Amino acid sequence: MIKLEIFLQTLIQGLLLGGLYSLIGVGMTIIMGVMKIINLAHGELMMVAMYIAYVLFTAFQIDPYFSILIAAPVLFFLGIALQKYLINPVLRVEAIIPENQVILTVGIGMVLANLATIIFQSDYRQTPLSYASKTWYLQDYWKSSPVDLSITAPWLVTFLVAVLITLGLWFFLARTDMGKSIRATAQDSEAAMIMGVNVDRMRVITFGLGSALVGAAGCLFIPIYYIYPDIGGQFTLISFVITILGGLGSTVGAILGGLVLGLFESLTATYVGMGWAPVGRFAIFVAALVFLPGGMASLLKSKRMK
Amino acid sequence: MKHRSLVLFMLLLLVLSPLLVAAADDFELTIPLPLTGKPAKFGEIMKHSYEIAVEEINAKGGVKGKKIVLGFEDSTGKPETARAIVEKLIDSKKQPIIVGEYTSACAKAVAAVAEERKTPYLIVASADDDITQNKYKYVFRQNQVNAHYGDAVVDFLKNVVKPKSIAILYESSAFGTSGADAMEKDAVKINAKVVLKEKFETGAIDFKPLLSKVKAEQPDVVYTVAYANEAQLIMKQAKELRVDARLYAGGAAGFAIPEFIKGAQDAAEFVISATLWSPQLKYEGAKEFADKYKAKYGEYPSYHGASAYAAMHVTADALNRAKGLSPDEIRDALKATDLKTAYGPVKFEDKEGYQNQNFHETLVIQVQKGEFENIWPQSQAGKAYIFPIPSWRERK
Repeated sequence: MIKLEIFLQTLIQGLLLGGLYSLIGVGMTIIMGVMKIINLAHGELMMVAMYIAYVLFTAFQIDPYFSILIAAPVLFFLGIALQKYLINPVLRVEAIIPENQVILTVGIGMVLANLATIIFQSDYRQTPLSYASKTWYLQDYWKSSPVDLSITAPWLVTFLVAVLITLGLWFFLARTDMGKSIRATAQDSEAAMIMGVNVDRMRVITFGLGSALVGAAGCLFIPIYYIYPDIGGQFTLISFVITILGGLGSTVGAILGGLVLGLFESLTATYVGMGWAPVGRFAIFVAALVFLPGGMASLLKSKRMK
Repeated sequence: MKHRSLVLFMLLLLVLSPLLVAAADDFELTIPLPLTGKPAKFGEIMKHSYEIAVEEINAKGGVKGKKIVLGFEDSTGKPETARAIVEKLIDSKKQPIIVGEYTSACAKAVAAVAEERKTPYLIVASADDDITQNKYKYVFRQNQVNAHYGDAVVDFLKNVVKPKSIAILYESSAFGTSGADAMEKDAVKINAKVVLKEKFETGAIDFKPLLSKVKAEQPDVVYTVAYANEAQLIMKQAKELRVDARLYAGGAAGFAIPEFIKGAQDAAEFVISATLWSPQLKYEGAKEFADKYKAKYGEYPSYHGASAYAAMHVTADALNRAKGLSPDEIRDALKATDLKTAYGPVKFEDKEGYQNQNFHETLVIQVQKGEFENIWPQSQAGKAYIFPIPSWRERK
């Protein structure tokens, strides 16, 4: 019985973690799809949002979940500014290195991380919320339950909001004119241009949108984690793995990729050992590159064709 | 043209004059320690503490009638930088004694330089065991070694908790691994079976899979070695999962700093931890130092600060007793040290394969009502320990 309990609890945690991962990864993925570059400052943008939420909480006692409404728009405009004034000019330049925009994003990330170090010092910070460890237990509601499973409020809220945002994104991309234009740009930017889509504008908006998404993820993360200026790197890495796993540029693929990664890490931690989680992450990364170069997206497509 | 060179000369004189004056009847002491980079927080605590100590020493007449003039050099926590600083201090500034540093890696580098140049070096807060196991003649260490960090906790377990089984969780760093290995050995001595020994990566988000495993094993004691963030997350998530153990124990570091209580909130309650010093200790001067520090900088110092404060007194004591101010004379005086300080009695011994090592008592603290209290050894206990502890379900 206790084995079953561990297994179920691991699944729950894996799903919750995976939901968060999806939200982090989806922002990088849509930028990847439209711009054809990997934004390696992705984690640092998340860090910026986390600090915004942190400042709002300590100065004005604003709940980190409400900060999404502030941090996401701020990140949206920050993303737009970065794309318009830094990345676009570099895109136009003929360079020896083909991917010099990618290198530029690394630089942007470093600048952001060091700015944060100057402003906030390299201390670890937290937002102590009153409901941070509010937890619901199965046995409290169903007395005779053979297994005791639990779910913690911030994790659940974080997961639900992540799902809501992802659904909203899907709706935006699938049903609105602008969403369709973005998808058209991602599929074939030249054709889109001929059909009258303002491709440059779509790129700018996409970068803003991707930044806003990871900004929201940052706010959701604060109640369960902590912040320090160099936190970005580890999340850039995670979203990179998710983007590859999901199939470069596919939104649905990234969502599935995030969930798979979360579940996989949880299961590794339980049944192999927690020290092995990073190894598992890279094993799945390499496996995706070798056996499933198109990622989850290619699986979905092949199913549809049958 | 003439004018300009004259002005330059005057400027030079102006810049140099304090140095010239200082050389006359002051004792210059420059301390290498990290003031930027990851360990900067600890460097800052120690810097403040050195300053408080020097103020007191100078007010009482300094050493051999000379005032101590403190200087600091930032080693940024990098061994090569620390090494370069100390080479400069010994070779060109002819400083006859070196005090300071924080990380074990830096202290190791400095110890090698000091031994090579036959200059005494007093280590203040670096715990790696082998620094004082190298048969160095000139290297002294005031703080306890890693292998003995958990002594008081083990003693507490043996006498009070009497656990049958223990789960060890540790961070995959040198510090975490050595701490976990030491506890594994100690567990055998107190007849507790190690039912789980698992490491985790720094920066991990979700400890619940690991904690579920702990829950399945139902150990009497969960012993964790971790830095600040992981210590907090583990306790929070243990509470969320209702992983009940008869006792939660931590191996100093992340469990013994105020951030632990701030971050883990009520999940920190009843957790015990090893530590080297606390302001409530019954050593003479401990409380005075802690209060002075708090009045000046707004918070109580950690054991790093207390050790630095005491180290400066130990240095002054040795300098006063030394026949002269040559490195060898200071070394001999340091070796003969037998001083009661705010950090505890200091005496440099050769035993258990260590040289010039001060073996001092470690402590057990327990979080009670959101405050750290000394609970073990009983001679130092400020409050009675709380054991057995209520299960998570019984707490509101």
